[in-house]
Amino acid sequence: VDILQQLINGLSLGALYALIAVGYTVVYGIIQLINFAHGEIFMIGAFGALTAWILIPGESLGIWQLPIMLVVGMVAAVGTSLLTERFAYRPLRNAPRLAPLITAIGVSVFLQEFIRLFYGRIPGFPDAKRAITFPQIDYVTGPAIQLGPITIQRAALFTIIALVVCWVFLYVFVNRTRMGRAMQATSQDPDTARLMGINVDRIIMVAFALGAALAAVAGLAWGLRYTNIDFRMGFLAGLKAFTAAVLGGIGNINGAVVGGLVLGLVEGMATLIPGTFGGSAWKDVWAFVLLILVLVFRPQGLLGSRVVDRA
Amino acid sequence: MITVPRLVTPERQQRSDPAGGWVAIAGGVILAASAFLPWAYSFKALDGMTLLGFPSPLQYLGLVLGLLVAGLVVCSRRIKPKGKIRVGWVRGAKAAATGALVYIAIIILSIAVELGGLINVVYGGWVALLGAAIAFAGTRLMIMDKPATLAQAQLRPTLEILLVAVVMGAALFATAFALNIDDGGAFVSFIAFLGAFVAVLFRVGAMGFLSGVSQRHRKVLILAAFVVAFLFPFTQGGSDANMSIATQVIIFAAAAMGLNITVGLAGLLDLGYIAFLGAGAFTAAVLSRSAFATADIHPPFIVVVLIAGAVSATLGLIIGSPTLRVSGDYLAIVTLAFGEIFRISMINLDGEAGPNITHGSNGIPAIPDLTLFGFDFGRPHIVLGIPLGRFSNYYFLLLVLIAFVILVFVRLNNSRIGRGWVAIREDEKAAEAMGVNVFGLKLFAFASGAFLAGIAGAVKAHQDISVTPDQYVFLESAFLLAAVVLGGMGTVLGVLVGATLLKLLPEKLRFVSDFRLMIFALLLIIMMRFRPEGMIPSQRRQLEFHEEDEELAERIDEEVEQTGALKGAGI
Repeated sequence: VDILQQLINGLSLGALYALIAVGYTVVYGIIQLINFAHGEIFMIGAFGALTAWILIPGESLGIWQLPIMLVVGMVAAVGTSLLTERFAYRPLRNAPRLAPLITAIGVSVFLQEFIRLFYGRIPGFPDAKRAITFPQIDYVTGPAIQLGPITIQRAALFTIIALVVCWVFLYVFVNRTRMGRAMQATSQDPDTARLMGINVDRIIMVAFALGAALAAVAGLAWGLRYTNIDFRMGFLAGLKAFTAAVLGGIGNINGAVVGGLVLGLVEGMATLIPGTFGGSAWKDVWAFVLLILVLVFRPQGLLGSRVVDRA
Repeated sequence: MITVPRLVTPERQQRSDPAGGWVAIAGGVILAASAFLPWAYSFKALDGMTLLGFPSPLQYLGLVLGLLVAGLVVCSRRIKPKGKIRVGWVRGAKAAATGALVYIAIIILSIAVELGGLINVVYGGWVALLGAAIAFAGTRLMIMDKPATLAQAQLRPTLEILLVAVVMGAALFATAFALNIDDGGAFVSFIAFLGAFVAVLFRVGAMGFLSGVSQRHRKVLILAAFVVAFLFPFTQGGSDANMSIATQVIIFAAAAMGLNITVGLAGLLDLGYIAFLGAGAFTAAVLSRSAFATADIHPPFIVVVLIAGAVSATLGLIIGSPTLRVSGDYLAIVTLAFGEIFRISMINLDGEAGPNITHGSNGIPAIPDLTLFGFDFGRPHIVLGIPLGRFSNYYFLLLVLIAFVILVFVRLNNSRIGRGWVAIREDEKAAEAMGVNVFGLKLFAFASGAFLAGIAGAVKAHQDISVTPDQYVFLESAFLLAAVVLGGMGTVLGVLVGATLLKLLPEKLRFVSDFRLMIFALLLIIMMRFRPEGMIPSQRRQLEFHEEDEELAERIDEEVEQTGALKGAGI
């Protein structure tokens, strides 16, 4: 029973990771950049959703607000993501590998600090220096569903459903649309893609936007699930999501989803490890140990797209 | 890419060079004269620039910059080059004018920020800005002269040694002066002035000359540098406030120097480096005589330092071992994961989630002060009538430490090992084909860097009195990396400057304390965009970051021919 319970918990946590991981994987697949700031994009998605709820007058918790929150969160995340791409990463497109990575760390710290310092300054907005309570929307949160001895949080269910919807959408987008196929082509060989008339700059922007939109979904789901958000939430979540992306094979979108779910399951199961080095206190350690093991012994990941030569 | 239209074309410079000179002189004189006018409305801004006829220290510095511009232009017209030795007068004038403009702009902005609005800038300030702007415009119109070759000049050895002493004395004076400025705006302005002054020295060629002098008298220079560093506590008049900052700076710099081996020399990006400093600190804390220490053995401090270094180096070996199979971005992530594992483990080893070693997030408090050879580091001492506090004691110990760290760094860099690292950094496969032991050298880079951080951590534990896991978070690793990158990867001087700036600025910029992380992040982004090789780059690095820049390659080629060595390759 405990195992089943942790399976559910792990799956829903993994769905969160998967949603964020897609952002890492599409960007890395195209320009081989570890977008360190992607965790912060996820955080901004959550804050965008919160902003929408604050701006809607009244203290209502009706389900009709959910799409509005989602859209505003997406707009905030996509906008921020495109801005960072344009002003921080694009000028460094041909620089040595170290430069964009350090820039990404800078962007990550900048975005965190920006939210911490300025979010609370808008009149009527809560102080972002502390954790902020996230509104609990009707139907998607509330009393947990009991299936015999197993408890399923509504928000967990929401996360899993969101992942499934997004995955279907992604699959259609990447495999069935012109833009999606252009994206695949660019990720395989940017130079040839450019010669074939693909606007590579635009494809890169689409990749950033796509990742940011999914991260915003994850941000909203996170807020509903953990009931509060803060400016630091992007760091650890981003790191875990990156782990998930690597786990599944970076550059491979299905891999990111699978990797996220596997990582979530591992974390869920790790809490069941008995004895001194088990329990929830050590689950992060086990997640990172898994990351290191995968990187060392199977750098192409579980689904293994291709072995990138990371010079 | 945004392209700025060029206002000043070479043709225009050709036509207006003489006029430009006069304009620049006029601007310089106006700027110098404005020092005697009041600049600010209230005494509260900066260092009191309200008097007519009595310049404040910062206004005197404006005067210096103004005269510098005018003087350099006059020199460029009057002094003809003798023999092969050229001085870059016009280059210097251009740098001085640019620096003056920035300096005055910063002062005016500081006045506006501190007093609330540009309205508080009095006419003298505007005159100064006008003068600087005129001087800037004038120097833009002048034709750039050829690069200076002052580096080849030589003086009599006694004079040169005297010069080294004077320069070092000036550095000590400037540092003591800067640290005693309490006003944030005044501090930033002074740093801007120093930056402008050093830039002028570079452009004129004086820095080339000085580096030539220092290479001829390297031992004198190193001795002088340490004498100056040693004398620093005596300029503080018994106050421990600045000494506490200074000790923080040195520990930070020592750790950054260790990271410099891994990142700067071997080119292995390490994002979890702070864990090594933490491992050293926790080892020392556990073995100390603190009532909360969990080990029952208390070896003498020398042994503790070695154990701390060994523990860190072992961790370094473990973290370095995946480098056999992963490299580049993946390695960065592996090290980041290790850093997080270290931090979480230190929190969890609290007796509940794991065995009790570190008391969890409370850490180990009440670590006693060091006692070495009967010398108690906790008690103030009086030397030559000047009281030296607790931090001064640690400062002297840390000076020895950083001297050791720099020695190790330089000796490694100039050895077979150092050349092997360069080869690995530039092309791993080629290096392996040439018989370089790639894996061994990579491991050694991790282990040696970690060892240095470990011994620094051991001292840090005693100096900070307590050790807690939250001192060793990812942000600190990012800070260390930023110090290395901003200063100039692979150099000693650059990393020292970078570490000093990164630790000192937040202390002095209390008035923007809430924004300092944000400013730091912006600085990092801007730096990567415009000068990825850092403030004081080694020339090899500069070439690596600007591979397509043929002009730079030629210039460095020429300089190498003249001086016989790559600058920044050694010290």
